[in-house]
Amino acid sequence: MAKTKPAPVESETAIRVRALEAILIEKGLIDPKAIDALVDTYETKVGPRNGAKVVARAWFDPAYKQRLLADATSAIKELGFSGMQGEDMVVVENTDSVHNVIVCTLCSCYPWPTLGLPPVWYKSAPYRARTVSDPRGVLKEFGTILPEDVEVRVWDTTAELRYLVLPKRPAGSEALGEEALAALVTRDSMIGVTVL
Amino acid sequence: MLLTPDLVPVISASGQSARVDEKIAARFKTGTTVRVRNLHPTTHTRLPGYLCGKVGTVEIDHGVFIFPDTHAHNLGEKPQHCYSIRFKATEVWGPTAAANDTLRVDLFDDYLDPA
Repeated sequence: MAKTKPAPVESETAIRVRALEAILIEKGLIDPKAIDALVDTYETKVGPRNGAKVVARAWFDPAYKQRLLADATSAIKELGFSGMQGEDMVVVENTDSVHNVIVCTLCSCYPWPTLGLPPVWYKSAPYRARTVSDPRGVLKEFGTILPEDVEVRVWDTTAELRYLVLPKRPAGSEALGEEALAALVTRDSMIGVTVL
Repeated sequence: MLLTPDLVPVISASGQSARVDEKIAARFKTGTTVRVRNLHPTTHTRLPGYLCGKVGTVEIDHGVFIFPDTHAHNLGEKPQHCYSIRFKATEVWGPTAAANDTLRVDLFDDYLDPA
């Protein structure tokens, strides 16, 4: 038996990212400190609490909801969220008859200004392949079981639009204010893999 | 151009939309039935292979965008309409898919033929 623990094997993705980073630095295209600043921005400053505020406002203010569904980019910008990977937004609404779920089969397109960086599972090959081919199976694994008469609407966001799901407002939340409503909204419900 | 830390908040806040402000005619109106071309480029594309040959309906015209397939290879912006196309799950995956379920996929003019 070996006395020392073997070094953890670096994943293929990690190796590839390190190689890309090295090339970008070598070619003088990026200062390594800029990479740290980018990671810090999307790990600590921008995240799903932004999206939760958008959802809560839509539940609270019917006129805002109307604007959000008609022109998501502008309506989200009203709350101060815009920019990289959220330049052209679409918000899709869950109702009694439609449940929306977001995936990017080609890579990991995701609305950064409202949700931050995508979770690891969202980028994984099984999620990307199975969400389009067996959405109800994937949803079940997230604990989401929907009646047959509900249309599961899978958005494969492979082009330039970025999508956010407007979940159904939970029953019993009628008396809550905007801030309390925002606290109910989870990241996964805005990807559409869970309901509230 | 060198990306420096002071530029990060700027590009993060502004982003870079691929939308093009040009009046370019859409090849398809919403409600039209289209068939996805059977294309298998070995270069950059945003066309998922599982849709090749499938028939769907133009649900939303998102407007005009830079075409990534050419732009990625310095072959020009080739701006064109990008649509959300609705496919029945059964059209793409066969009779075992749920009858009610649908797929919505953003596809460019160059990927589509009239059906």
